[in-house]
Amino acid sequence: MNLLTVVLLLPLAGFLIALCIPRSSPQASRVWALLLSLATFAASLGLLAWFDRGLAGAQFTVDLPWVSTPDIHFHIAADGVSLWLALLATFLTPICVLISWRHIQKSVKEFYAFLLLLEFGLVGVFIAQDLFLFYVFWEVSLVPMYFLIGIWGHERRIYAAVKFFLFTMAGSVLMLVGIIYLYNRAQTFSYPAIVDMLASGRLAFRPGEEMLLFLAFFVAFAIKVPLFPLHTWLPDAHVEAPTAGSIMLASVMLKMGTFGILHYCVPLFPAAARSCAPWIAVLAIIGIVYGALVAMVQPNMKKLVAYSSVSHLGFVVLGIFSFTQLGMDGAVYQMLNHGITTGALFAIVGLLYERRHSLEIKDFGGVATVAPWLSTVFLVTTLASIGLPLLNNFVGEFLVLQGAAIANFKWAIWAALGAILSACYMLWLYQRVFYGEAGAEVRSHVPDLSLREWAAVVPLIVMMVWMGVYSQSFLPPVGKTTAQILEQSQINVPFRVSAPGRERFFDAETQRRGEQIEPSDLKSFPSVSPRLRVKDALEVANAH
Amino acid sequence: MPMQLWLIPILPLAGFLINGLFGRRFSKGIVNAIAIGSVVLSFAWVVKTLLGVDLSHPYSEKYFTWIESGAFRVDFEFTVDKLTAVMLLIVTGVGALIHIYSVGYMAHEGGYYRFFAYLNLFMFFMLTLVLAANYLVLFVGWEGVGLCSYLLIGFYFDKKYCTDAGNKAFIVNRIGDFGFSLGLFYIVTHFGSLDFQTVFAQAAAKPESVLTVIGLLLMVGACGKSAQLPLYVWLPDAMAGPTPVSALIHAATMVTAGVYMTARSWPILTHAPAAMQVIAVIGVATAFFAATIGLAQNDIKKVFAYSTVSQLGYMFIGVGCGAFSAGIYHLMTHAFFKALLFLGSGSVIHALSGEQDMRNMGGLRKKVPWTYMTMMGAAIAIAGIPPFAGFFSKDAILLAAYAQSPWIYWVGTITAGMTAFYVFRAMFLTFFGEYRGQGHPHESSPVMLVPLAILALLSICGGFLFRIPEFLASVFQQPEVPENTVLMVISTLAGVTGIAVAWLMYIAKPGMADAFAGSVKGLYTLVYNKYFMDEIYAATVVNPVVNGSREVLWKGVDVGVIDGAANGVGDSAREIGGVLRLFQSGDIRSYATWVLFGSVIVIVAVSLAGGIR
Amino acid sequence: MPIDLMPSASDLIRILPEIVLTVMGTLLMLLDPLLHKRSSNAFGHLSLLALAAALGATVYAYAYEGTAFGGMIVVDGFATFFRALVILVGILTVLSSYGFLRRQDAATSEYHALLLFSIAGQSMMAASGNLIVVFIALEISSISSYVLTGYLRDDPRSNEAALKYFLLGSFATAFFLYGVALIYGSTGTIDLLAVRAAATGQSGPIAAPLFLGLAAAMLFVGLGFKVSAAPFQIWAPDVYQGAPTPVTAFLSTGPKAAAFAVFLRIFMTAFEPGGGGWEPLVWCSALASMTIGNFAALRQTNVKRMLAYSSIAHAGYVLVALTARSAVGVSAVMFYLAAYAFMNIGAFAVVGHLSGKGERYQDIEDLAGLGQKQPLTAALFTIFLLSLIGVPLTGGFFGKFYIFKAALESHLVWLSVLGLLNSAVAAYYYLRILVMMYFREPSQAVNEVEPLAPGLRTALLISAAGTLFLGIFPNWVLDFAGQSSTLVK
Repeated sequence: MNLLTVVLLLPLAGFLIALCIPRSSPQASRVWALLLSLATFAASLGLLAWFDRGLAGAQFTVDLPWVSTPDIHFHIAADGVSLWLALLATFLTPICVLISWRHIQKSVKEFYAFLLLLEFGLVGVFIAQDLFLFYVFWEVSLVPMYFLIGIWGHERRIYAAVKFFLFTMAGSVLMLVGIIYLYNRAQTFSYPAIVDMLASGRLAFRPGEEMLLFLAFFVAFAIKVPLFPLHTWLPDAHVEAPTAGSIMLASVMLKMGTFGILHYCVPLFPAAARSCAPWIAVLAIIGIVYGALVAMVQPNMKKLVAYSSVSHLGFVVLGIFSFTQLGMDGAVYQMLNHGITTGALFAIVGLLYERRHSLEIKDFGGVATVAPWLSTVFLVTTLASIGLPLLNNFVGEFLVLQGAAIANFKWAIWAALGAILSACYMLWLYQRVFYGEAGAEVRSHVPDLSLREWAAVVPLIVMMVWMGVYSQSFLPPVGKTTAQILEQSQINVPFRVSAPGRERFFDAETQRRGEQIEPSDLKSFPSVSPRLRVKDALEVANAH
Repeated sequence: MPMQLWLIPILPLAGFLINGLFGRRFSKGIVNAIAIGSVVLSFAWVVKTLLGVDLSHPYSEKYFTWIESGAFRVDFEFTVDKLTAVMLLIVTGVGALIHIYSVGYMAHEGGYYRFFAYLNLFMFFMLTLVLAANYLVLFVGWEGVGLCSYLLIGFYFDKKYCTDAGNKAFIVNRIGDFGFSLGLFYIVTHFGSLDFQTVFAQAAAKPESVLTVIGLLLMVGACGKSAQLPLYVWLPDAMAGPTPVSALIHAATMVTAGVYMTARSWPILTHAPAAMQVIAVIGVATAFFAATIGLAQNDIKKVFAYSTVSQLGYMFIGVGCGAFSAGIYHLMTHAFFKALLFLGSGSVIHALSGEQDMRNMGGLRKKVPWTYMTMMGAAIAIAGIPPFAGFFSKDAILLAAYAQSPWIYWVGTITAGMTAFYVFRAMFLTFFGEYRGQGHPHESSPVMLVPLAILALLSICGGFLFRIPEFLASVFQQPEVPENTVLMVISTLAGVTGIAVAWLMYIAKPGMADAFAGSVKGLYTLVYNKYFMDEIYAATVVNPVVNGSREVLWKGVDVGVIDGAANGVGDSAREIGGVLRLFQSGDIRSYATWVLFGSVIVIVAVSLAGGIR
Repeated sequence: MPIDLMPSASDLIRILPEIVLTVMGTLLMLLDPLLHKRSSNAFGHLSLLALAAALGATVYAYAYEGTAFGGMIVVDGFATFFRALVILVGILTVLSSYGFLRRQDAATSEYHALLLFSIAGQSMMAASGNLIVVFIALEISSISSYVLTGYLRDDPRSNEAALKYFLLGSFATAFFLYGVALIYGSTGTIDLLAVRAAATGQSGPIAAPLFLGLAAAMLFVGLGFKVSAAPFQIWAPDVYQGAPTPVTAFLSTGPKAAAFAVFLRIFMTAFEPGGGGWEPLVWCSALASMTIGNFAALRQTNVKRMLAYSSIAHAGYVLVALTARSAVGVSAVMFYLAAYAFMNIGAFAVVGHLSGKGERYQDIEDLAGLGQKQPLTAALFTIFLLSLIGVPLTGGFFGKFYIFKAALESHLVWLSVLGLLNSAVAAYYYLRILVMMYFREPSQAVNEVEPLAPGLRTALLISAAGTLFLGIFPNWVLDFAGQSSTLVK
């Protein structure tokens, strides 16, 4: 029963107790949810304090047998990546509680109960070390979100909720097949154990087998990310969800996908991951540009932000599949950044909705004149989201693009277009909503931030600046873990395919190759052709 | 002992934070004290630092690691060398003057504290840009000044054309930064670092192709920030901002960042002649192109805006021809006289309470004598008449150009003539002849005139007081350009001619201008409408992208194809369900038949399989 | 072998559960004239008592593992598991019937008597080691369930359902009987172990594969009908819809479980050696059942009918485990049927609770707003539905998990993939019910609904508890199933 367990189980306990609070006193539910989520956050800060940044491996391990046949364990632990993602969840939950304080008036008790259950599921997904347990949390987090959208959402909420559930379900059943298959091969669900077996060669897949397993997992994750072209559930879900739902969905839930890719797809099926990398990278880049372009023409604020998420998550995926230290660090950092920034965007859009009861951009304008602070906060968030230096997103985007550039310069060229477009849609949004003459509606209905709202948004702003200026507080543990993942991703893969080796400035040998580079090949770091990679993987697999 | 360089940018930042957070409750006096005080202090600190350190070799201070990943690391590090020194002095000096000027200019405007907060923020970023010891910290300032320019252009945010101009500025700059950032990525992939020291040290050893690519990509960034072809379009619109902003950001300092950055990257460029060529060509093309547009503008600020674009072109000629110091030289003098021109025109506009169209001015030299005299100083300076500041720097550039490729020199000289013409055209239209407007012009307050006077002084004698090329000689190893009196005379004559023609057209024979314009109608309309550049961009880039995204990507691909497919699957599933339902006729006989049918199938199947073994 | 006519005490103990149930059933009928005027609930209480006793007897009998009556009855873990299961189903059915019968003011004595007889039949099916006994037990169970289906005399739907069930049922039984005959013809025995021996040639010459094959096919038809597996699922929707809801709940769980028990006994014991022959058969049937069930359910607006189709699909899942033809598969089947019993009875019980007098309200729209009117009922229903979808921490999930794990161990990759995709499809129609209950404003039906009767509440709570228990601590049941599954041979 260590601190990590506490962080995990507190929300569950909170959920169960919240169910017992009488309907008659909604205020009690609110207060309870706030207190409990704050307590959870405090506990997770404890994790941060006791986390040994010197270690690469997972920490706070708890491993209790749960089911004997098959051998399923309640096995949780936090490494440099999952620690931050879990913290992101615990950090945002109290903010969601505050944001929903007045926004949610209908069946308040259930709302906060579900919010806490959601937190439980989300934290669990990131810290589960047992594939089965992971799947359990993966599905458990699905249910409360389904209800959050379906009960407290807007007009087309039912369509959105069902679409959300079915899309995810379709992916996760495939993952379940993968998990069971993996168990039958490895005779264990334990993630570290399987990684060891792969490393020691006690477990090796045939290429075709590995590719299928990779896809079984990847599709599930790609839907969650969402990766183009599997993203269409996202805009609907976001537009219809209540503010808190949107925040948790965008900020934490989407990360389940990217986290899954980084934590499962890459280390468990390295050869397959690498041979798919070019295509996935292309999809990611399409997502970046496409998402931004579509976001640009949205008439609805939430939809705009939703499509911007598609664009931002594209960066994350690109970073992972660059198979470079920089790319992966950037990807993880970008997960956190997107969590903070987009969370803030949704929060403020939610505040605007509370005031004006509309999400349509055309119903706004001139908000800056009546609510200067609200506008300032949104401006800072906007700037963060378009990657202005000294704010969080810049660091992540820079690392991702740099990693992509190292892997294949063409990728960087295309992905960097996203940076231009993000400025287009966000500034255009900002201009149409906050600048211009304030109409009568806006004048009368849009007050500036209240104290409670300040309390909700200030932490987000602080994080944006902190993460933008002093990434050292966050990156080192991430780097440790990603380095490890990169190492694991070498297994079964001939060295010359490995991306880190391509970071030519690290070793003299490649330095020299750098000299003979011709202007013709801007793509000075071609990723070795997929066929070749599968062949290599095949040889190695047979070797075992 | 450490110089605490960080104080230089931090002071204005503090000013920004204080004014930004509490300014609303402050009286104007306090706001002024904080805003101006912070800038003056940082100017003082600059002076102290420069006296304190030995500039013969760079002096750096590292504060903390900003980004670290694997073997790649970027530190927050500041450095001072002679180049930085020049920039620091220009930025803080001119900046301070313009802050003071703004007290008078903005006196009656709303959002007073906001204006000064933004100005301070700008100073912070600009100083960061100048002090940066690596490309990424430079990029921080680079993006930051862009932000401030965005905020200040859109300062009157209830006016759509202002916020439009702001967006345009930011987005066009983003296009430039696209190139810039790619340049950075390329540098990292080949040098493994972004520190100036490390990169420049290795530069010579790298293949020319790599350096060329980097040089060109950096130039793309510079084109955005310094409003060169084809990305200059944002700068004229940027005049929507308050005039002090135009002076500080869009004339004296920010727009010259591109020049500074390329000059800073000289070790890379000198080994990439191709890139240098391109830079020089872009420079001269822009200089000429913008000058022609300047000939026909009626908005006094627009004239100077295009003039700025043109003069920046000159600076890039300098950089492109390897005369980096000359480029910086012109950067400085330009900061003096162009800031002055803008502030002067601001004073005029102020005097006419908002009037910017020169057709409604005239004869103001009596009404606003001080403004008139100071501006005249600047006008002569930009016209390149010795011994005024502009002469020296422009001359240095043209000489270098001649040494490189003569045709650039000639085009440059012609441009110089045009420059002289349109500036004096503006002067004559504004201050000479009869007053053509209605208002009651009044001279501006001393708080505005003092900065004018100081800048006038600098425009007049800044040239020979600060001999930048000599000062920077140790920084850039560049070929010594031989003095050439003939060329000097020619370019000067060009300037004189320009003035003369302007005098002829607008003083001696008024009406001649219109007659001339009439005689070359087509050309005139073309120039008058800025070659329809904005329209062309709108038609070829903006609209296709926006409409394409809406109609094709969103409504077509997203809603139509992808979502259609998803829902299609669902529907077809339900269709299948519908079909299956048909079997449930409810009629028992048919049921019996089905059961029998099924049984037969099963039995036959097994028998065909030959039973079970 | 000669059977001595005087059964030994141990023999009687081994069939004690059936004896208890039959005696009590008869007793109920006799008591009818004396009791039912005063309290119609008395019969309910009595049958609960009977079932409790039977459960005790089952456990007691387990202490006397072994065969009775010369191998006609086999009492082993497997038998005990299914006996307990069907009796448990009976208990839940009785509990959920109180309110229902009162609402339909139907006579209660015969109802409970028939229920007990049917359960007796099923528990005997579970314990039979001899094809004739299987047949008799099957008939006992079936005939009583035919009558139960038509129990609401004045409801035409109920009558029609009963008729269909009866006719088609006997049709299928005929096939079964013919199969038995064929086996006897080809092997000269009807004792399962003997048949196995004959099939493997351990006793004399190997029986003709074709005959055995035909026999297997016939038995498959008969049992496939009982478990409503494709292509014999055709009757299920109409019957399940027409029958009184508690009966539907019963039919979809009890007889099904018993039938699967027999299925396992026969195919894993007698035909296991020839498995190669019947595996493709079951493979196809499994896939067909899942697909037909789920896809047809997508379009249903009548909840009972929807659940009927879903039960076809679930039969398909169980067949997947059968296809695996492994001990793991058998234990998966056992676990799944247990989980399915809880969640399905629970679901039907709620539907019956809402259907109101004369079962007026069966449409999915009638569930609208239940979440607001009766949070508890809705919450419990949600648990059942999530379990039917197969969301973790519910019995349904572990059931599916074990089934597909077994399938994958036997390298049935594609069947597993298709099966799991099926379950994703299924999610859609279960979600529709959730949508109705929580995302819509209360409907007429929901406004009329009466508070949960204590009996029903208990039934629902037990079912929910069972569902969650199996979802969180699957081991207890699974281990038992695991041990007994090895005993089949």
